Amino acid sequence: MRLGAVFVALIVLAGIVAPLIARQDPLFQTAGASLLPLSAAHPLGTDDLGRDLLSRVLYGIRVDVIVSVIGVPISAVIGTLLGLAGPSSRYTDIAIQRGFDVILAFPILILGIAIASVTNAGLPAIVATVVIANVPIFGRLARTAFLQQRERDYVVAAEAIGAGTGRILFRHILPNSVDPLIVQLALSLATAVFVEGGMSFVGVGIRVPAPSLGNILNESLPYLASNPNFALGPMVVFAMLVLGLNLIADGLNARLSRR
Amino acid sequence: MLAYAARRIPSALVVLFLASIAIFAVLRLTPGSPAVVLAGPDADPATIASITHELGLDLPLPEQYAIWLRGIVTGHMGQSYILGAPIATLIGRGLSNTAELTVAAVGLAIVIALVVGIVGATTGSRVLKTLVVTFTTVSFAVPTFISGVVLVLIFAVGLHVLPPGGHASFGSGPLTALRFLILPAVCLALPAAAVLARFLQTSLQHVLDEEYIRVARAKGLPWRQILVRHALPNAFPGVVTVLGIQFGQLLGGAVIVEAIFAWPGLGQLILQSFVSRDYLLVQDLVLLSVTVFIVMQTLTDLAHAALDPRLRLER
Repeated sequence: MRLGAVFVALIVLAGIVAPLIARQDPLFQTAGASLLPLSAAHPLGTDDLGRDLLSRVLYGIRVDVIVSVIGVPISAVIGTLLGLAGPSSRYTDIAIQRGFDVILAFPILILGIAIASVTNAGLPAIVATVVIANVPIFGRLARTAFLQQRERDYVVAAEAIGAGTGRILFRHILPNSVDPLIVQLALSLATAVFVEGGMSFVGVGIRVPAPSLGNILNESLPYLASNPNFALGPMVVFAMLVLGLNLIADGLNARLSRR
Repeated sequence: MLAYAARRIPSALVVLFLASIAIFAVLRLTPGSPAVVLAGPDADPATIASITHELGLDLPLPEQYAIWLRGIVTGHMGQSYILGAPIATLIGRGLSNTAELTVAAVGLAIVIALVVGIVGATTGSRVLKTLVVTFTTVSFAVPTFISGVVLVLIFAVGLHVLPPGGHASFGSGPLTALRFLILPAVCLALPAAAVLARFLQTSLQHVLDEEYIRVARAKGLPWRQILVRHALPNAFPGVVTVLGIQFGQLLGGAVIVEAIFAWPGLGQLILQSFVSRDYLLVQDLVLLSVTVFIVMQTLTDLAHAALDPRLRLER
Protein backbone atom coordinates (compact mmCIF):
# COMPACT_ATOMS: atom_id res chain seq x y z
CA MET A 1 0.00 0.00 0.00
CA ARG A 2 2.87 2.37 0.81
CA LEU A 3 4.45 1.58 -2.54
CA GLY A 4 1.12 2.35 -4.21
CA ALA A 5 0.82 5.67 -2.39
CA VAL A 6 4.37 6.61 -3.39
CA PHE A 7 3.66 5.80 -7.07
CA VAL A 8 0.48 7.85 -7.11
CA ALA A 9 1.93 10.76 -5.14
CA LEU A 10 4.98 11.01 -7.42
CA ILE A 11 2.88 11.10 -10.57
CA VAL A 12 0.28 13.52 -9.29
CA LEU A 13 3.04 15.80 -8.05
CA ALA A 14 4.75 15.65 -11.46
CA GLY A 15 1.47 16.63 -13.08
CA ILE A 16 0.90 19.53 -10.69
CA VAL A 17 4.35 21.03 -11.17
CA ALA A 18 4.35 20.30 -14.92
CA PRO A 19 4.77 23.98 -15.91
CA LEU A 20 7.89 24.18 -13.70
CA ILE A 21 9.68 21.05 -14.93
CA ALA A 22 8.51 20.81 -18.53
CA ARG A 23 11.24 22.17 -20.75
CA GLN A 24 9.03 23.06 -23.66
CA ASP A 25 5.49 23.97 -24.50
CA PRO A 26 3.79 20.57 -25.04
CA LEU A 27 2.40 21.86 -28.35
CA PHE A 28 5.66 23.38 -29.63
CA GLN A 29 6.99 21.62 -32.72
CA THR A 30 10.73 21.82 -33.25
CA ALA A 31 11.47 21.70 -36.98
CA GLY A 32 13.66 18.75 -37.95
CA ALA A 33 13.54 17.24 -34.47
CA SER A 34 10.92 14.53 -35.02
CA LEU A 35 11.19 11.05 -33.49
CA LEU A 36 14.40 11.74 -31.58
CA PRO A 37 15.58 9.08 -29.12
CA LEU A 38 16.09 9.73 -25.41
CA SER A 39 18.62 12.50 -24.77
CA ALA A 40 19.54 15.14 -22.21
CA ALA A 41 17.61 17.80 -24.12
CA HIS A 42 14.56 15.54 -24.54
CA PRO A 43 14.60 12.97 -21.69
CA LEU A 44 11.78 10.98 -23.32
CA GLY A 45 12.66 11.88 -26.89
CA THR A 46 10.33 13.66 -29.31
CA ASP A 47 7.21 12.59 -31.17
CA ASP A 48 6.50 12.42 -34.88
CA LEU A 49 5.86 16.17 -35.03
CA GLY A 50 9.00 17.13 -33.12
CA ARG A 51 7.25 17.88 -29.82
CA ASP A 52 9.04 17.16 -26.55
CA LEU A 53 7.52 13.95 -25.15
CA LEU A 54 8.39 14.64 -21.50
CA SER A 55 6.44 17.90 -21.65
CA ARG A 56 3.50 16.17 -23.36
CA VAL A 57 3.45 13.36 -20.80
CA LEU A 58 3.64 15.80 -17.86
CA TYR A 59 0.76 17.87 -19.22
CA GLY A 60 -1.08 14.65 -20.10
CA ILE A 61 -0.98 13.62 -16.42
CA ARG A 62 -2.93 16.78 -15.58
CA VAL A 63 -5.86 15.57 -17.68
CA ASP A 64 -6.05 12.37 -15.64
CA VAL A 65 -5.76 14.27 -12.39
CA ILE A 66 -8.59 16.60 -13.44
CA VAL A 67 -10.82 13.73 -14.60
CA SER A 68 -10.24 11.81 -11.35
CA VAL A 69 -10.49 14.73 -8.97
CA ILE A 70 -13.70 16.06 -10.51
CA GLY A 71 -15.42 12.87 -11.69
CA VAL A 72 -14.91 10.47 -8.80
CA PRO A 73 -16.07 12.69 -5.89
CA ILE A 74 -19.17 13.78 -7.83
CA SER A 75 -20.10 10.16 -8.54
CA ALA A 76 -19.38 9.17 -4.93
CA VAL A 77 -21.69 11.87 -3.55
CA ILE A 78 -24.52 11.27 -6.03
CA GLY A 79 -24.22 7.48 -5.73
CA THR A 80 -24.15 7.51 -1.93
CA LEU A 81 -27.15 9.85 -1.69
CA LEU A 82 -29.16 7.72 -4.14
CA GLY A 83 -28.12 4.55 -2.32
CA LEU A 84 -29.22 5.94 1.04
CA ALA A 85 -32.42 7.52 -0.34
CA GLY A 86 -33.59 4.40 -2.15
CA PRO A 87 -34.80 2.21 0.70
CA SER A 88 -36.97 5.03 2.12
CA SER A 89 -39.84 3.92 -0.10
CA ARG A 90 -40.50 0.78 -2.10
CA TYR A 91 -41.07 2.59 -5.37
CA THR A 92 -38.08 4.92 -5.28
CA ASP A 93 -36.00 1.89 -4.35
CA ILE A 94 -37.20 -0.08 -7.38
CA ALA A 95 -36.78 2.93 -9.69
CA ILE A 96 -33.25 3.66 -8.48
CA GLN A 97 -32.21 0.00 -8.58
CA ARG A 98 -33.50 -0.41 -12.14
CA GLY A 99 -31.69 2.77 -13.14
CA PHE A 100 -28.46 1.32 -11.73
CA ASP A 101 -29.08 -1.96 -13.58
CA VAL A 102 -29.46 -0.10 -16.85
CA ILE A 103 -26.22 1.87 -16.40
CA LEU A 104 -24.31 -1.26 -15.37
CA ALA A 105 -25.48 -3.02 -18.55
CA PHE A 106 -23.24 -0.69 -20.59
CA PRO A 107 -19.62 -1.83 -20.94
CA ILE A 108 -17.78 1.25 -19.73
CA LEU A 109 -16.03 2.17 -22.98
CA ILE A 110 -19.20 1.67 -24.99
CA LEU A 111 -20.88 4.07 -22.58
CA GLY A 112 -18.00 6.46 -23.19
CA ILE A 113 -18.41 6.25 -26.95
CA ALA A 114 -22.17 6.85 -26.67
CA ILE A 115 -21.62 9.89 -24.45
CA ALA A 116 -18.85 11.19 -26.70
CA SER A 117 -21.17 10.95 -29.72
CA VAL A 118 -23.64 13.17 -27.91
CA THR A 119 -21.30 15.70 -26.35
CA ASN A 120 -18.82 15.69 -29.24
CA ALA A 121 -15.92 14.19 -27.26
CA GLY A 122 -13.37 16.03 -25.14
CA LEU A 123 -12.85 16.39 -21.43
CA PRO A 124 -16.57 16.81 -20.51
CA ALA A 125 -17.42 13.48 -22.18
CA ILE A 126 -14.72 11.70 -20.19
CA VAL A 127 -15.80 13.26 -16.88
CA ALA A 128 -19.46 12.46 -17.63
CA THR A 129 -18.55 8.84 -18.39
CA VAL A 130 -16.58 8.53 -15.15
CA VAL A 131 -19.48 10.00 -13.15
CA ILE A 132 -22.24 7.95 -14.80
CA ALA A 133 -20.31 4.68 -14.68
CA ASN A 134 -19.41 5.06 -10.99
CA VAL A 135 -22.72 6.29 -9.57
CA PRO A 136 -24.38 2.83 -9.50
CA ILE A 137 -21.29 1.26 -7.92
CA PHE A 138 -21.27 3.74 -5.01
CA GLY A 139 -25.06 3.58 -4.89
CA ARG A 140 -25.20 -0.18 -4.44
CA LEU A 141 -22.44 -0.17 -1.82
CA ALA A 142 -24.17 2.58 0.16
CA ARG A 143 -27.55 0.84 -0.08
CA THR A 144 -26.16 -2.50 1.14
CA ALA A 145 -24.35 -0.82 4.03
CA PHE A 146 -27.48 1.17 4.92
CA LEU A 147 -29.65 -1.96 5.00
CA GLN A 148 -27.13 -3.70 7.25
CA GLN A 149 -26.84 -0.80 9.68
CA ARG A 150 -30.55 0.01 9.82
CA GLU A 151 -31.35 -2.96 12.01
CA ARG A 152 -28.52 -2.30 14.48
CA ASP A 153 -29.34 -1.41 18.07
CA TYR A 154 -27.70 2.03 17.98
CA VAL A 155 -29.98 3.07 15.11
CA VAL A 156 -33.06 1.78 16.91
CA ALA A 157 -31.88 3.65 20.02
CA ALA A 158 -31.38 6.87 18.05
CA GLU A 159 -34.89 6.50 16.62
CA ALA A 160 -36.27 5.86 20.10
CA ILE A 161 -34.86 9.11 21.49
CA GLY A 162 -36.51 10.92 18.59
CA ALA A 163 -33.62 11.67 16.21
CA GLY A 164 -34.78 12.80 12.75
CA THR A 165 -34.23 10.82 9.57
CA GLY A 166 -31.50 13.15 8.32
CA ARG A 167 -29.64 13.01 11.61
CA ILE A 168 -29.83 9.22 11.75
CA LEU A 169 -28.68 8.89 8.14
CA PHE A 170 -25.78 11.30 8.18
CA ARG A 171 -24.66 11.31 11.83
CA HIS A 172 -25.14 7.63 12.63
CA ILE A 173 -25.47 5.36 9.61
CA LEU A 174 -23.15 7.02 7.09
CA PRO A 175 -20.03 7.13 9.33
CA ASN A 176 -20.52 3.43 10.06
CA SER A 177 -21.00 2.53 6.39
CA VAL A 178 -18.06 4.42 5.02
CA ASP A 179 -15.39 1.67 4.87
CA PRO A 180 -16.40 -0.03 1.60
CA LEU A 181 -16.99 3.40 0.06
CA ILE A 182 -13.42 4.46 0.83
CA VAL A 183 -11.98 1.33 -0.78
CA GLN A 184 -14.23 1.99 -3.77
CA LEU A 185 -12.89 5.55 -4.02
CA ALA A 186 -9.42 4.18 -4.76
CA LEU A 187 -10.79 1.68 -7.29
CA SER A 188 -12.90 4.36 -8.97
CA LEU A 189 -9.86 6.60 -9.31
CA ALA A 190 -8.17 3.74 -11.16
CA THR A 191 -11.28 3.39 -13.33
CA ALA A 192 -11.17 7.12 -14.09
CA VAL A 193 -7.59 6.81 -15.28
CA PHE A 194 -8.60 3.81 -17.38
CA VAL A 195 -11.56 5.68 -18.90
CA GLU A 196 -9.43 8.69 -19.87
CA GLY A 197 -6.73 6.44 -21.30
CA GLY A 198 -9.15 4.16 -23.14
CA MET A 199 -11.32 6.92 -24.57
CA SER A 200 -8.43 9.11 -25.68
CA PHE A 201 -6.58 6.05 -26.98
CA VAL A 202 -9.40 5.06 -29.34
CA GLY A 203 -10.01 8.67 -30.34
CA VAL A 204 -13.22 9.56 -28.52
CA GLY A 205 -11.62 11.41 -25.59
CA ILE A 206 -9.05 14.20 -25.54
CA ARG A 207 -8.41 15.29 -29.11
CA VAL A 208 -4.95 16.03 -30.45
CA PRO A 209 -3.00 18.33 -30.42
CA ALA A 210 -3.89 18.66 -26.71
CA PRO A 211 -1.78 16.05 -24.93
CA SER A 212 -3.28 13.21 -22.88
CA LEU A 213 -1.60 9.96 -21.90
CA GLY A 214 -4.12 8.00 -23.97
CA ASN A 215 -3.70 9.95 -27.17
CA ILE A 216 0.10 10.06 -26.91
CA LEU A 217 0.07 6.26 -26.67
CA ASN A 218 -2.23 6.07 -29.66
CA GLU A 219 0.04 8.34 -31.71
CA SER A 220 3.01 6.13 -30.84
CA LEU A 221 1.44 2.96 -32.32
CA PRO A 222 2.75 3.36 -35.91
CA TYR A 223 6.27 3.88 -34.53
CA LEU A 224 6.46 0.95 -32.08
CA ALA A 225 8.97 -0.91 -34.24
CA SER A 226 11.20 2.04 -35.12
CA ASN A 227 10.88 4.28 -32.01
CA PRO A 228 9.65 2.31 -29.00
CA ASN A 229 10.64 5.21 -26.69
CA PHE A 230 7.66 7.16 -28.10
CA ALA A 231 5.34 4.87 -26.09
CA LEU A 232 7.56 4.67 -23.01
CA GLY A 233 6.34 7.73 -21.05
CA PRO A 234 2.59 7.13 -21.14
CA MET A 235 3.06 3.40 -20.49
CA VAL A 236 5.19 3.87 -17.38
CA VAL A 237 2.90 6.59 -16.00
CA PHE A 238 -0.30 4.61 -16.67
CA ALA A 239 1.13 1.45 -15.16
CA MET A 240 2.34 3.27 -12.04
CA LEU A 241 -0.93 5.15 -11.55
CA VAL A 242 -3.27 2.22 -12.02
CA LEU A 243 -1.11 -0.27 -10.12
CA GLY A 244 -0.58 2.27 -7.36
CA LEU A 245 -4.30 2.92 -6.95
CA ASN A 246 -5.08 -0.80 -6.94
CA LEU A 247 -2.39 -1.44 -4.31
CA ILE A 248 -3.89 1.35 -2.19
CA ALA A 249 -7.36 -0.19 -2.54
CA ASP A 250 -6.04 -3.66 -1.59
CA GLY A 251 -4.19 -2.20 1.38
CA LEU A 252 -7.18 -0.19 2.60
CA ASN A 253 -9.41 -3.21 2.18
CA ALA A 254 -7.11 -5.41 4.27
CA ARG A 255 -6.67 -2.74 6.94
CA LEU A 256 -10.36 -1.90 7.26
CA SER A 257 -11.56 -5.51 7.30
CA ARG A 258 -9.11 -6.27 10.13
CA ARG A 259 -10.70 -3.54 12.23
CA MET B 1 -35.54 -23.88 -11.73
CA LEU B 2 -38.38 -22.85 -14.05
CA ALA B 3 -39.77 -20.59 -11.36
CA TYR B 4 -36.37 -18.94 -11.00
CA ALA B 5 -36.10 -18.47 -14.76
CA ALA B 6 -39.63 -17.05 -14.82
CA ARG B 7 -38.50 -14.37 -12.34
CA ARG B 8 -35.07 -13.70 -13.80
CA ILE B 9 -35.86 -13.44 -17.52
CA PRO B 10 -38.60 -10.77 -17.31
CA SER B 11 -36.44 -8.56 -15.12
CA ALA B 12 -33.64 -8.83 -17.70
CA LEU B 13 -36.11 -7.86 -20.42
CA VAL B 14 -37.20 -4.82 -18.40
CA VAL B 15 -33.59 -3.67 -18.06
CA LEU B 16 -33.00 -4.22 -21.78
CA PHE B 17 -36.16 -2.26 -22.64
CA LEU B 18 -35.19 0.63 -20.37
CA ALA B 19 -31.65 0.61 -21.79
CA SER B 20 -32.98 0.76 -25.35
CA ILE B 21 -35.12 3.76 -24.44
CA ALA B 22 -32.14 5.45 -22.79
CA ILE B 23 -29.94 4.87 -25.85
CA PHE B 24 -32.63 6.08 -28.23
CA ALA B 25 -33.44 9.13 -26.16
CA VAL B 26 -29.84 10.19 -25.63
CA LEU B 27 -28.60 9.64 -29.17
CA ARG B 28 -31.74 10.87 -30.93
CA LEU B 29 -32.57 13.92 -28.90
CA THR B 30 -29.18 15.54 -29.18
CA PRO B 31 -28.74 18.67 -31.23
CA GLY B 32 -27.34 18.14 -34.71
CA SER B 33 -29.69 15.77 -36.49
CA PRO B 34 -28.03 12.85 -38.30
CA ALA B 35 -29.53 14.30 -41.49
CA VAL B 36 -27.48 17.51 -41.13
CA VAL B 37 -24.32 15.45 -40.68
CA LEU B 38 -25.16 13.23 -43.66
CA ALA B 39 -25.97 16.15 -45.94
CA GLY B 40 -22.55 17.65 -45.35
CA PRO B 41 -21.48 21.16 -44.37
CA ASP B 42 -22.73 23.08 -47.42
CA ALA B 43 -26.10 21.39 -47.88
CA ASP B 44 -29.19 23.49 -48.54
CA PRO B 45 -32.29 23.09 -46.33
CA ALA B 46 -34.15 21.18 -49.06
CA THR B 47 -31.51 18.43 -49.16
CA ILE B 48 -31.54 18.20 -45.36
CA ALA B 49 -35.34 18.00 -45.38
CA SER B 50 -35.35 15.22 -47.97
CA ILE B 51 -32.73 13.19 -46.07
CA THR B 52 -34.66 13.77 -42.84
CA HIS B 53 -37.74 12.41 -44.54
CA GLU B 54 -35.90 9.47 -46.09
CA LEU B 55 -34.48 8.42 -42.70
CA GLY B 56 -37.89 8.81 -41.09
CA LEU B 57 -36.53 11.45 -38.72
CA ASP B 58 -39.66 13.61 -39.26
CA LEU B 59 -41.93 10.96 -37.74
CA PRO B 60 -43.13 11.20 -34.13
CA LEU B 61 -40.47 9.93 -31.71
CA PRO B 62 -42.40 6.89 -30.43
CA GLU B 63 -42.91 5.80 -34.03
CA GLN B 64 -39.21 6.27 -34.80
CA TYR B 65 -38.40 4.19 -31.73
CA ALA B 66 -40.77 1.42 -32.84
CA ILE B 67 -39.33 1.39 -36.36
CA TRP B 68 -35.81 1.25 -34.94
CA LEU B 69 -36.61 -1.72 -32.67
CA ARG B 70 -38.48 -3.55 -35.44
CA GLY B 71 -35.52 -3.08 -37.76
CA ILE B 72 -33.13 -4.54 -35.20
CA VAL B 73 -35.34 -7.53 -34.43
CA THR B 74 -35.96 -8.35 -38.12
CA GLY B 75 -32.44 -7.49 -39.28
CA HIS B 76 -33.66 -4.75 -41.65
CA MET B 77 -31.68 -1.87 -40.19
CA GLY B 78 -31.35 0.01 -43.43
CA GLN B 79 -28.28 1.43 -45.10
CA SER B 80 -25.29 3.10 -43.54
CA TYR B 81 -25.10 6.11 -45.84
CA ILE B 82 -21.66 7.07 -44.75
CA LEU B 83 -19.99 3.65 -44.86
CA GLY B 84 -21.99 2.74 -47.96
CA ALA B 85 -23.25 -0.72 -47.05
CA PRO B 86 -26.33 -2.27 -45.42
CA ILE B 87 -25.99 -1.95 -41.63
CA ALA B 88 -26.90 -5.62 -41.19
CA THR B 89 -24.00 -6.68 -43.43
CA LEU B 90 -21.53 -4.40 -41.63
CA ILE B 91 -22.63 -5.68 -38.22
CA GLY B 92 -22.67 -9.30 -39.38
CA ARG B 93 -19.09 -9.09 -40.62
CA GLY B 94 -17.86 -7.30 -37.51
CA LEU B 95 -19.78 -9.58 -35.19
CA SER B 96 -18.24 -12.78 -36.54
CA ASN B 97 -14.72 -11.36 -36.15
CA THR B 98 -15.39 -10.02 -32.67
CA ALA B 99 -17.04 -13.29 -31.67
CA GLU B 100 -13.92 -15.16 -32.83
CA LEU B 101 -11.77 -12.86 -30.69
CA THR B 102 -13.96 -12.90 -27.58
CA VAL B 103 -14.58 -16.66 -27.62
CA ALA B 104 -10.83 -17.25 -27.91
CA ALA B 105 -10.25 -14.76 -25.07
CA VAL B 106 -12.85 -16.37 -22.81
CA GLY B 107 -11.39 -19.82 -23.48
CA LEU B 108 -7.91 -18.58 -22.66
CA ALA B 109 -9.13 -16.70 -19.59
CA ILE B 110 -10.78 -19.85 -18.23
CA VAL B 111 -7.66 -21.97 -18.77
CA ILE B 112 -5.37 -19.35 -17.20
CA ALA B 113 -7.78 -18.82 -14.29
CA LEU B 114 -8.04 -22.55 -13.61
CA VAL B 115 -4.28 -23.00 -13.48
CA VAL B 116 -3.57 -19.82 -11.49
CA GLY B 117 -6.59 -20.21 -9.18
CA ILE B 118 -5.89 -23.84 -8.31
CA VAL B 119 -2.18 -23.23 -7.80
CA GLY B 120 -2.95 -20.16 -5.67
CA ALA B 121 -5.39 -22.05 -3.47
CA THR B 122 -3.45 -25.26 -3.00
CA THR B 123 0.26 -24.48 -3.12
CA GLY B 124 2.32 -24.36 0.05
CA SER B 125 5.22 -22.66 -1.69
CA ARG B 126 5.70 -19.01 -0.82
CA VAL B 127 7.37 -18.23 -4.11
CA LEU B 128 4.43 -19.63 -6.10
CA LYS B 129 1.96 -17.76 -3.91
CA THR B 130 3.80 -14.48 -4.52
CA LEU B 131 3.89 -15.19 -8.26
CA VAL B 132 0.14 -15.82 -8.28
CA VAL B 133 -0.62 -12.60 -6.37
CA THR B 134 1.69 -10.60 -8.62
CA PHE B 135 0.13 -12.05 -11.74
CA THR B 136 -3.45 -11.36 -10.67
CA THR B 137 -2.70 -7.85 -9.35
CA VAL B 138 -0.76 -6.78 -12.42
CA SER B 139 -3.04 -8.32 -15.06
CA PHE B 140 -6.09 -6.91 -13.34
CA ALA B 141 -4.71 -3.41 -12.90
CA VAL B 142 -2.80 -2.84 -16.13
CA PRO B 143 -5.19 -1.61 -18.82
CA THR B 144 -5.40 -3.48 -22.13
CA PHE B 145 -3.97 -0.54 -24.05
CA ILE B 146 -0.75 -0.97 -22.07
CA SER B 147 -0.57 -4.76 -22.08
CA GLY B 148 -1.38 -4.76 -25.80
CA VAL B 149 1.51 -2.43 -26.59
CA VAL B 150 3.83 -4.50 -24.36
CA LEU B 151 2.78 -7.70 -26.16
CA VAL B 152 3.44 -6.10 -29.57
CA LEU B 153 6.83 -4.81 -28.39
CA ILE B 154 7.89 -8.24 -27.11
CA PHE B 155 6.45 -10.71 -29.59
CA ALA B 156 6.22 -8.70 -32.81
CA VAL B 157 8.92 -6.02 -32.60
CA GLY B 158 11.44 -7.83 -30.39
CA LEU B 159 11.15 -11.54 -31.13
CA HIS B 160 9.47 -11.33 -34.56
CA VAL B 161 7.45 -14.46 -33.80
CA LEU B 162 3.92 -13.07 -34.23
CA PRO B 163 2.40 -10.36 -36.45
CA PRO B 164 1.82 -6.97 -34.75
CA GLY B 165 -1.73 -6.79 -36.02
CA GLY B 166 -4.24 -7.73 -38.69
CA HIS B 167 -6.61 -10.59 -39.22
CA ALA B 168 -6.81 -13.71 -41.39
CA SER B 169 -9.89 -15.87 -41.69
CA PHE B 170 -9.68 -19.52 -40.70
CA GLY B 171 -10.71 -20.41 -44.27
CA SER B 172 -7.38 -19.12 -45.57
CA GLY B 173 -5.38 -21.49 -43.37
CA PRO B 174 -5.92 -22.19 -39.69
CA LEU B 175 -2.27 -21.73 -38.75
CA THR B 176 -2.05 -18.23 -40.23
CA ALA B 177 -5.38 -17.28 -38.66
CA LEU B 178 -4.16 -18.53 -35.30
CA ARG B 179 -0.96 -16.49 -35.54
CA PHE B 180 -3.01 -13.33 -35.96
CA LEU B 181 -5.41 -14.33 -33.20
CA ILE B 182 -2.93 -15.11 -30.40
CA LEU B 183 -1.77 -11.64 -29.31
CA PRO B 184 -5.18 -9.88 -29.34
CA ALA B 185 -6.81 -12.84 -27.59
CA VAL B 186 -4.15 -12.93 -24.85
CA CYS B 187 -4.41 -9.16 -24.41
CA LEU B 188 -8.19 -9.30 -24.08
CA ALA B 189 -8.08 -12.38 -21.83
CA LEU B 190 -5.61 -11.11 -19.20
CA PRO B 191 -7.85 -8.85 -17.06
CA ALA B 192 -10.72 -11.34 -17.16
CA ALA B 193 -8.34 -14.17 -16.27
CA ALA B 194 -7.06 -12.21 -13.27
CA VAL B 195 -10.55 -11.57 -11.89
CA LEU B 196 -11.65 -15.16 -12.47
CA ALA B 197 -8.48 -16.56 -10.92
CA ARG B 198 -8.94 -14.43 -7.80
CA PHE B 199 -12.53 -15.53 -7.35
CA LEU B 200 -11.72 -19.17 -8.00
CA GLN B 201 -8.83 -19.06 -5.55
CA THR B 202 -10.91 -17.50 -2.74
CA SER B 203 -13.85 -19.78 -3.38
CA LEU B 204 -11.63 -22.88 -3.53
CA GLN B 205 -9.84 -21.92 -0.32
CA HIS B 206 -13.19 -21.72 1.47
CA VAL B 207 -14.30 -25.09 0.13
CA LEU B 208 -11.00 -26.75 1.06
CA ASP B 209 -11.57 -25.72 4.70
CA GLU B 210 -14.90 -27.57 4.82
CA GLU B 211 -15.45 -30.66 6.96
CA TYR B 212 -16.29 -32.93 4.06
CA ILE B 213 -12.91 -32.29 2.48
CA ARG B 214 -11.26 -33.30 5.74
CA VAL B 215 -13.39 -36.45 5.76
CA ALA B 216 -12.36 -37.21 2.19
CA ARG B 217 -8.71 -36.79 3.14
CA ALA B 218 -9.16 -38.93 6.24
CA LYS B 219 -10.68 -41.65 4.06
CA GLY B 220 -7.42 -41.63 2.17
CA LEU B 221 -8.77 -40.39 -1.18
CA PRO B 222 -6.02 -39.25 -3.52
CA TRP B 223 -5.52 -35.46 -3.56
CA ARG B 224 -6.36 -35.14 -7.24
CA GLN B 225 -9.68 -36.90 -6.77
CA ILE B 226 -10.58 -34.68 -3.80
CA LEU B 227 -9.83 -31.61 -5.88
CA VAL B 228 -11.64 -32.69 -9.04
CA ARG B 229 -14.59 -34.59 -7.57
CA HIS B 230 -15.29 -32.73 -4.34
CA ALA B 231 -13.69 -29.30 -4.16
CA LEU B 232 -13.89 -27.80 -7.66
CA PRO B 233 -17.58 -28.53 -8.35
CA ASN B 234 -18.46 -26.71 -5.14
CA ALA B 235 -16.15 -23.81 -5.88
CA PHE B 236 -17.51 -23.18 -9.37
CA PRO B 237 -21.03 -21.77 -9.00
CA GLY B 238 -20.02 -18.30 -7.78
CA VAL B 239 -17.25 -18.12 -10.34
CA VAL B 240 -19.75 -18.68 -13.17
CA THR B 241 -21.50 -15.39 -12.34
CA VAL B 242 -18.20 -13.55 -12.46
CA LEU B 243 -17.50 -15.17 -15.84
CA GLY B 244 -20.75 -13.74 -17.21
CA ILE B 245 -19.91 -10.21 -16.11
CA GLN B 246 -16.39 -10.52 -17.51
CA PHE B 247 -17.70 -11.82 -20.83
CA GLY B 248 -20.03 -8.83 -21.11
CA GLN B 249 -17.19 -6.43 -20.33
CA LEU B 250 -15.03 -8.02 -23.04
CA LEU B 251 -17.04 -6.20 -25.71
CA GLY B 252 -15.91 -2.89 -24.24
CA GLY B 253 -12.34 -4.20 -24.03
CA ALA B 254 -12.58 -5.39 -27.64
CA VAL B 255 -12.83 -1.75 -28.78
CA ILE B 256 -9.32 -1.12 -27.45
CA VAL B 257 -7.81 -4.46 -28.43
CA GLU B 258 -9.18 -4.21 -31.96
CA ALA B 259 -7.73 -0.70 -32.26
CA ILE B 260 -4.25 -1.88 -31.22
CA PHE B 261 -4.20 -4.99 -33.38
CA ALA B 262 -6.19 -3.64 -36.35
CA TRP B 263 -8.74 -6.42 -35.85
CA PRO B 264 -11.75 -5.77 -38.12
CA GLY B 265 -14.53 -6.35 -35.59
CA LEU B 266 -17.41 -4.50 -33.98
CA GLY B 267 -15.05 -2.32 -31.96
CA GLN B 268 -13.46 -0.96 -35.13
CA LEU B 269 -16.91 -0.53 -36.66
CA ILE B 270 -18.22 1.50 -33.73
CA LEU B 271 -15.12 3.74 -33.86
CA GLN B 272 -15.48 4.15 -37.62
CA SER B 273 -19.11 5.09 -37.25
CA PHE B 274 -18.17 7.50 -34.45
CA VAL B 275 -15.48 9.20 -36.53
CA SER B 276 -17.75 9.48 -39.57
CA ARG B 277 -20.52 10.69 -37.25
CA ASP B 278 -22.88 7.94 -38.39
CA TYR B 279 -24.85 8.12 -35.15
CA LEU B 280 -27.61 5.82 -36.34
CA LEU B 281 -25.03 3.05 -36.61
CA VAL B 282 -23.51 4.00 -33.23
CA GLN B 283 -26.98 3.66 -31.75
CA ASP B 284 -27.41 0.14 -33.18
CA LEU B 285 -23.98 -0.96 -32.00
CA VAL B 286 -24.41 0.39 -28.47
CA LEU B 287 -27.73 -1.44 -28.15
CA LEU B 288 -26.12 -4.60 -29.52
CA SER B 289 -23.35 -4.59 -26.92
CA VAL B 290 -25.80 -3.87 -24.10
CA THR B 291 -27.97 -6.75 -25.31
CA VAL B 292 -25.02 -9.13 -25.36
CA PHE B 293 -24.08 -8.01 -21.85
CA ILE B 294 -27.58 -8.56 -20.47
CA VAL B 295 -28.03 -11.91 -22.23
CA MET B 296 -24.69 -13.18 -20.91
CA GLN B 297 -25.49 -12.01 -17.40
CA THR B 298 -28.92 -13.68 -17.47
CA LEU B 299 -27.53 -16.93 -18.88
CA THR B 300 -24.82 -17.10 -16.24
CA ASP B 301 -27.31 -16.30 -13.47
CA LEU B 302 -29.43 -19.21 -14.71
CA ALA B 303 -26.36 -21.43 -14.89
CA HIS B 304 -25.45 -20.38 -11.36
CA ALA B 305 -28.94 -21.30 -10.17
CA ALA B 306 -28.75 -24.65 -11.95
CA LEU B 307 -25.44 -25.39 -10.22
CA ASP B 308 -26.46 -24.08 -6.81
CA PRO B 309 -29.97 -25.08 -5.74
CA ARG B 310 -29.95 -22.70 -2.72
CA LEU B 311 -30.09 -19.72 -5.05
CA ARG B 312 -33.34 -20.82 -6.68
CA LEU B 313 -35.16 -20.74 -3.35
CA GLU B 314 -34.09 -17.22 -2.50
CA ARG B 315 -36.77 -14.65 -2.95
